[in-house]
Amino acid sequence: MAITDISNRKKFPANGNVYLPNIAVIEKIIEETADTRTFHFNFKDEKLREQFTFESGQFGEYSVFGVGEATFCISSSPTRRDHLECCVKRVGRVTNALHRLGVGAEIGVRGPYGNSFPLDYLKGKNLVFVAGGIGLAPLRSLIWNVLDNRNDYGNIDIIYGARTPGDLCFTYDLDAWEKDSSVKMTTTIDREHEGWSGRVGFVPQVLEQAAPSAKNAAAIVCGPPVMIRFTFPVLEKLGFTPEQMITTLEKRMKCGIGKCGRCNIGDLYVCRDGPVFSFAQIKDFISSEY
Amino acid sequence: MNDIESKLRTEARNLLEQGKVNAIIGFAPGSLKFTTTPLITGDKEDTDRLVINPFIANNLSVFIHDIEGPVGIVAKGCDARSIVSLIQDNQLAREDVFILGIPCPGVIDLRKVEKLVGRDRDEIDDITRDNDRVTVAVGGENKEFSITEVLRDDCLSCESPAPKEYDLLLGEDNVVVGDRELSRSHIRELESLPPAERWEFWKNEFSRCIRCYACRQVCPACFCERCFVEESEPQWISPLPRWQDNLVFQATRVIHVAGRCVDCGECERACPVNIPLRSLTGKMDEIVEELFGYKAGTDKDAPPLMTAYVPEEAEDFIR
Amino acid sequence: MYRRKRKILSGDNMKKIKKKDIGKLLSKWQADFTVFTPSRATGVARMEEWDGKDTDFLTWYRNTVIPPKNNILPNMEAMFRFQKDEAGYQLEPVTPEQKQIIFGIRPCDARALTIIDMVFKDTYEDRYYLTRRQNTVLVGLGCTNPYESCFCTSLGIHPAQSADVDLMLTDIGNELLIEEITDKGKELLGKSSGLTDASSNDEDSAKQSRETAYQKVTRKLDTTGIADKLQASFEDKDFWGKVAAKCVTCGICTFLCPTCYCFDINDEISKGSGARFRNWDSCSFSLYTKMPAENPREEKWQRVRQKVCHKYEFYPRLFDTIACTGCGRCIRFCPVNWDITQTLESVPEHSAV
Repeated sequence: MAITDISNRKKFPANGNVYLPNIAVIEKIIEETADTRTFHFNFKDEKLREQFTFESGQFGEYSVFGVGEATFCISSSPTRRDHLECCVKRVGRVTNALHRLGVGAEIGVRGPYGNSFPLDYLKGKNLVFVAGGIGLAPLRSLIWNVLDNRNDYGNIDIIYGARTPGDLCFTYDLDAWEKDSSVKMTTTIDREHEGWSGRVGFVPQVLEQAAPSAKNAAAIVCGPPVMIRFTFPVLEKLGFTPEQMITTLEKRMKCGIGKCGRCNIGDLYVCRDGPVFSFAQIKDFISSEY
Repeated sequence: MNDIESKLRTEARNLLEQGKVNAIIGFAPGSLKFTTTPLITGDKEDTDRLVINPFIANNLSVFIHDIEGPVGIVAKGCDARSIVSLIQDNQLAREDVFILGIPCPGVIDLRKVEKLVGRDRDEIDDITRDNDRVTVAVGGENKEFSITEVLRDDCLSCESPAPKEYDLLLGEDNVVVGDRELSRSHIRELESLPPAERWEFWKNEFSRCIRCYACRQVCPACFCERCFVEESEPQWISPLPRWQDNLVFQATRVIHVAGRCVDCGECERACPVNIPLRSLTGKMDEIVEELFGYKAGTDKDAPPLMTAYVPEEAEDFIR
Repeated sequence: MYRRKRKILSGDNMKKIKKKDIGKLLSKWQADFTVFTPSRATGVARMEEWDGKDTDFLTWYRNTVIPPKNNILPNMEAMFRFQKDEAGYQLEPVTPEQKQIIFGIRPCDARALTIIDMVFKDTYEDRYYLTRRQNTVLVGLGCTNPYESCFCTSLGIHPAQSADVDLMLTDIGNELLIEEITDKGKELLGKSSGLTDASSNDEDSAKQSRETAYQKVTRKLDTTGIADKLQASFEDKDFWGKVAAKCVTCGICTFLCPTCYCFDINDEISKGSGARFRNWDSCSFSLYTKMPAENPREEKWQRVRQKVCHKYEFYPRLFDTIACTGCGRCIRFCPVNWDITQTLESVPEHSAV
């Protein structure tokens, strides 16, 4: 499984200057939670709109000119190409500026950067998706990608949780996956909450209770660092090997192309050799650097 | 090894052995000529490396907050004033520091020596001090200077070279052969310039600033966990090293340390591009003394200058 | 270990120039290039645009404080400008155009550029760095008076010889011997005047001068197996805690280091138009890796570990060269005399992970 094989890395179809963003226009804004929004956008340039390709797991660098640039995964699936999507949580300068934009506003987009989920490895396997909070965003691209090619994959288990019902993202997707009989969907919230009649419990615990089989399976995990740190031991207990556990990491990023130096874990750059990693690659660093 | 050194080593070792402190902060010989380096250790055997010589430049009080629990610290007069100022600001508790006071005869400014002999410090064979004469052995010759020619500027105007706050004073209380006017001569020179020229001077100086933040990091008064330059909402100054932002950074920093700056001179010594930062901090100290009659680090029970309101405030504008 | 082929031309082709004639040579070059020479005119020793007359730098120059990387990867550079009009945002990339000569670059600093070339070429090409690099001719000058903090020889670098420059000058007393190293250098020689042929005596003097310089580098560091040693010690919190204790996490070592290249990207805007810049950043700063949820290098021992391991373990694993050239600036200018050679020498022997 060549998760960090960069030889087939697609280079951004730009004019040779990797730092120059392309202009994109916001077409739709969905308020996922009080502080999280999904933006639907498309490149202004027609040709680019047609030419642009990416794979699930890759990310872009999104600019609000004059404020700065920030990194978000492309949360739409490459199988659905009428527009692109990214999901932004309001945490700082650039994200606040993005949240102040309306439909029709112009942003800069560089990408796609990074590696992608290893579809070749995942094909034919039973897939267990484990996500928390906004961590569902990169996984969502992969889930729709998989569902749009349903016959290539085995069983699909999705376990998704958030702190409170108001923190659940992509509720429209959760509804669709709930209704899909080929998917086992479990949504949970951390603690009892008024009006919530669904599952209650932290994602790692719910995962342990669901106990999906590790046989011919792969687990794809994304969420807050603390959730990931507790999920891996549970998966190990269930019999998943480090190669069978895949995650996508988040780091402070600026250039997105492995030059500015800051997103490294050892000699791996999360922007260039990741953000998708198998646990086998990062377990030596997991306690210190992540 | 001199008398003070041997006393210091014994005391430091005892403190660790008796478990009175978790660590000792002092000076050890550096890896370059005429340099010492901070020694921070919980191992009593390391105390044999402690030294006291004319090159103990650092203000060690910046390291106290790194250590859990009580710490024994070697302190010159300026360092002790910093410790007092930190106590005033509630950054440390008095009982958590055991101050090993060193009556300081002044620290030699290597930049001054280099300028006087026209050679870099690693080309000099020896620098020795005998009271108020300093002998520099370079290129086979011995050159003699008066101490006031080679002492750091901040030492020249030091009013309390021996710590007034201490647990143990390793030597006799002393006075530095100082020259306050000489120490402040650059400030006086700048004051004599018309404002436009003074602005040009600082604009020029800050064009060299590379925003390494060494001035801030070596300063004990800069104890903020998140410095104002690291804020992004709002972004007070640009992270880009333009002279305008560099100047505003330093001016703001100097104002932030008003009432806390003890004129240890470390900011200027640390600056790799030779910006005369003490001319700003020194002027700030003079203003603080003039307006409030206050000198940083002289009274550990006094409320900090800028964060305390006293109803009997002398100034009309604030009543 | 990275090695670069070095052409050595025969004595017939070697030229030399009298030190007192350097001014004329620089003037000639100034017609076609912006010439940078060592200068203290701004208050700190760095490569500055030659003022047209000063050649005194030949008397005091040992090495600059700000490394010559500043001329290829500036402390602050605009990447593109943007403007908003009725049609939306218009972007205009900034192209570095200046043809420049860096006169007097030392072998350590020249090697440093060769080392960081690799990261700027890798996978995606960084046209800002690479354009400046292409537009720059390096005229190297061999050391005669290394600092006590220099340790270039321990990293396979000779203080007075270099294959990383376009022309290499060796100090032979009143004159400088000139060797062509690359075609770019040859082309520059073609635009020169005031040169005379060097004799075999001159070459002998040069050899002598080089050897003397080499012997003067007394600080040594044994880098055998350092990458593996560092990897095995990665989790040794006690060791790194001790190493980092006196570091104050300023940016001096990283900013003055000729092989450090990490940068930050920042926008500026005023009344609807502005630019995106990049500027030097440092892994020593806590903000460097800070994320909203957490900071993987919150504590200073983690940042100090990153700095050491990046130079002596991670970069070598990626590009087969240690990202350090022994210029010694980090040791000379560190306000607490933190010394990387001492740290590396004290890395404990752990059994392999």
